[in-house]
Amino acid sequence: MKTRLRVLRAEKEWTQAQLAEAVGVSRQAIIAIENGKYDPALPLAFKLARAFGKNVEEVFVWEDDSLQEK
Amino acid sequence: MTTTTPRISSHPARAFWAVLGIGTAIDITAGWLLRQPGYSPQARVLFALLPIPMNLVLVALIVRRIRQLDEFLRRVHLEAVAIAFLLSGVAVFIYGYLQQAQVVHPLNFGIVWIFMVVFYGIGYVIAARHYR
Repeated sequence: MKTRLRVLRAEKEWTQAQLAEAVGVSRQAIIAIENGKYDPALPLAFKLARAFGKNVEEVFVWEDDSLQEK
Repeated sequence: MTTTTPRISSHPARAFWAVLGIGTAIDITAGWLLRQPGYSPQARVLFALLPIPMNLVLVALIVRRIRQLDEFLRRVHLEAVAIAFLLSGVAVFIYGYLQQAQVVHPLNFGIVWIFMVVFYGIGYVIAARHYR
């Protein structure tokens, strides 16, 4: 799964710590998500999207082609 | 948006260290009492079981703290526990063979937890590095 979290955060000029506090997680969690090392569960994905005023699909992009319709 | 950095509250940490301190004192006292001659078998069983209550409180505090962590940190700690569990199993397995080979003393179960803590530390480093 790809994420636009780092870009969106930069646009808002927020630090990782500020975003982490806004959604109630640790800074390590934000770092891992931004680096693509950790995929958040749905509630956290929604919280992150809401923090930027976006839908989940605008923040996280699913890349598994096997689920696409033929 | 506020600018304060999220951090672990020091209050649960203080409770943890207080319980750990009291528990350690009880462990040492129980060990000392068990080394003293003249006590009945019933009393010795009581001394041996003395550390249980504080140890259970410690377990409860740790479980509560883990439940307060966010989903990412819970995953890191879960992987650390899994790694520690497996490494402890391997270590006990190897030690058992070494014991059969009569090249080591019989295992002192009182110190096994030290290895578990060390393995947990190793597991935490491995898990944390994986997600960095």
